Amino acid sequence: MKAVYGLYTDGQSAQQAVNRVRAAGFADHQITVLSAQPMEDYEFGQVDKATWMWRIACIGGLAGMATAFGLTWLTETSWPIDVGGLPIFAWWPNLIIIFELTMLGAILATVMTLVVTAGLGRSSALYDPEVSDGKILVGVEHPPDSALRELETALGAIPDAQVKTI
Amino acid sequence: MSEPASRLPVPASRLPADQRINSDLLRPLMHTSWRFFLLLAVFGGIVLTAFVAWMSQAYRGYGVTGIRWPVYWGFYITSFVFWIGISHAGTLISAILRLVNAGWRRPVTRCAEVITVFALMIGAMFPIVHLGRPWLAFWLIPYPSERMIWPNLRSPLVWDFFAINTYLTGSVLFLFLPMIPDFAVVRDKSTGLRHSVYRMLALGWRGTPKQWHRLETAMQIMAIAIIPVAVSVHTIVSFDFSMAPVPMWQTAIFGPYFVAGAIFSGIAALLIAMAVLRRFLHLENYLHPVHFENLGKLLLMMALLWGYFVFNERLVTYYGNEPAEMAVFWRTQRESFAPLYWTMVVCNFVLPLVLMGIRRFRTITGCVIASFGVVIGMWLERFLIIVPSLGHKYLPYSFGIYRPQPVEIIIASATFAAMTLLYVLFAKFVPIISIWELKAGEHTPAVLVPPATEEHPLGELHL
Amino acid sequence: MPKWGMAVDLDRCTGCGACVTACHAENNISTVGAEQAARGRAKHWIRVERYWEGDFPDVRLKFRPVMCQQCDNAPCEPVCPTYASHHTDDGLNAQVYNRCIGTRYCANACPYNVRFFDFFNPSWDKPLHLQLNPDVSLREVGVMEKCTFCVQRIKATTIQAKAEDRPVKDGEIQPACAQACPARALVFGDLEDPESSVSRLSRSSRGSKLLADLGTRPSVTYMARQS
Repeated sequence: MKAVYGLYTDGQSAQQAVNRVRAAGFADHQITVLSAQPMEDYEFGQVDKATWMWRIACIGGLAGMATAFGLTWLTETSWPIDVGGLPIFAWWPNLIIIFELTMLGAILATVMTLVVTAGLGRSSALYDPEVSDGKILVGVEHPPDSALRELETALGAIPDAQVKTI
Repeated sequence: MSEPASRLPVPASRLPADQRINSDLLRPLMHTSWRFFLLLAVFGGIVLTAFVAWMSQAYRGYGVTGIRWPVYWGFYITSFVFWIGISHAGTLISAILRLVNAGWRRPVTRCAEVITVFALMIGAMFPIVHLGRPWLAFWLIPYPSERMIWPNLRSPLVWDFFAINTYLTGSVLFLFLPMIPDFAVVRDKSTGLRHSVYRMLALGWRGTPKQWHRLETAMQIMAIAIIPVAVSVHTIVSFDFSMAPVPMWQTAIFGPYFVAGAIFSGIAALLIAMAVLRRFLHLENYLHPVHFENLGKLLLMMALLWGYFVFNERLVTYYGNEPAEMAVFWRTQRESFAPLYWTMVVCNFVLPLVLMGIRRFRTITGCVIASFGVVIGMWLERFLIIVPSLGHKYLPYSFGIYRPQPVEIIIASATFAAMTLLYVLFAKFVPIISIWELKAGEHTPAVLVPPATEEHPLGELHL
Repeated sequence: MPKWGMAVDLDRCTGCGACVTACHAENNISTVGAEQAARGRAKHWIRVERYWEGDFPDVRLKFRPVMCQQCDNAPCEPVCPTYASHHTDDGLNAQVYNRCIGTRYCANACPYNVRFFDFFNPSWDKPLHLQLNPDVSLREVGVMEKCTFCVQRIKATTIQAKAEDRPVKDGEIQPACAQACPARALVFGDLEDPESSVSRLSRSSRGSKLLADLGTRPSVTYMARQS
């Protein structure tokens, strides 16, 4: 048995389904909820919010800044060339390079964090194409055989639910 | 815990609306008419002509252009600055409106971000086209070369390289990230080859709350990061001028002046793109007159800001009364460049003020007319910054008149065809309105909804 | 370390243009033909600027030779992305053709408009190709070029003097323009040596710099015409 899930037409039904599955003894990390848009006005849409992304973006920015410092310092001092009497390591122009690479570092760090933490690129687990039509999927992957009947009842108790077992 | 289901109002299912949005916005992807291929042929042909023109320039020598002593920059640099300017559309709309939580931005963000990416690509091509030895353009890249020399990091052109690449990377990612959930929708609605391609592009997107949170956080960070980058990009482009002691170039106002002009031309380009999309992709239900009105008001504001900067620049020059600067000043205002100059003023200032300032004219048609005027006016503005100054520097014996040649005219005008071509191709393969963002507008974020209580499990919505 | 400079005596200059011709010959500068010259593609590293003042019959003619001023505070140097335009230790503004990718920013930045772009590959009708100077490289299409104070002559003489274990004498190095000038209006030498003729002429009360108010600190002093 791979998964048991129900498809619901609106957020409130999905919330009720989630509560019922929790009452059936499943922990939050075992419950899969899929939707076609972020449903932040419901409690189930609020799980897993904590993230390190902001901190990693700042670290990425610092890494970019360090790279820019290194690039400007090393390349300008390795072969010092006089142009118009400007200092070999001139702060004002180098700040521009440093700024650009700092921002690039922050941007790339953000995107890499997104790819890793959102699990992008990994082969999909439980999914139903009807989610794209606006249905909300609430289910459990790899449930123990003993809890199967209880799960199906819990999911099916909400009106207009479509329960599927795969 | 029992659900007092009977007491709660059951929200009406939004499924029919969601399905209608899906089918409307996916229609251009699923159905292709002969008109698409005609557009491809026409614009592709124009772009190909420009490519051939550039090859002929590289083969026959740079002398086929109108560049001459001492006007060493002409149409190509004008187009470069112009297109980099247009690329500021996406940043303003997407990033700034996203950060201030303006809901009306939702159907408009992707149109704007697409303009940014393609305008940047076209603009970034021009530094290569205008080079004397374009096959050596890679020397601008900081790599450990066998010649043991690095690019001059103190040169504004090298700053251009860094800034434009950072902005391009950021914009492409800023465009691509919110496309992932939409690729998932296309994946679910298609079969065969299309399904396989979009499955790959969707990167396994499922739509768990965790994925949505990560995506939205990433978009938030990117929006905050991309705004200073965009400001810096066009400021650095302005440094290509203000770092040289040329009359009317060496002024501190160029930085903010160029950025304001960029946002101005970007909004105009966006309005034109939106109007065209609305008409040809039948998006009347998604791009409403209010969207055009709001952007039209922004256009009006930017026109006023543009006028402010021009007034500032010219008043200070006028009072300085420095002979070389005043010679260029009068050249644009009264002498040989006067027709172009006053056309620019009408297109950039008078027309938007009239059409966008008077509510009766602030219709979709009015917005498009004003925008076309702004696009023409901003191109002229770049030209009038570059050419009159270079032709009239300090030693009268060395003054010169620039006459653009067919090569430059073809390449500069073909960029508009290239932009259209890229846009048409994009709209064919990606939904031009962000489907999930449009739907998500119905679900206000939790911060606007107070926590649920026993009496009100959903909290009360206060907008 | 010498600092090379020039003094131009506008009183002696007759505007004959011998300096222009000599420069073309010495530095392998191709002529571009009448049509291209009319389109502004001529490459006169040194040119005689000519200005008419007044209306007939009170017309006065002013002229002066203008070449690269080898500015101490050269605006053309910081803007070159590939270090093709840079400053040497002996006070020259060097143009390295091999580094140039032809952005032409240096030419825009130069207030004296003494920088020239190669719009086409150079060509010489036979048998003029036989008179090319082997000490000076040919420039291909797409690079910038300008007066170098005949750096090939400077280098040759300094190397010769070093080989002979003696200092370079004042007046020993003669750029092609200074050598060709029949009125001896162009004087070249070491500005670091206070006794050299160029130093003494630079200190002349008639002396001034071209576009001095721009702050470029050129190495060329123009001595005003008396008559």
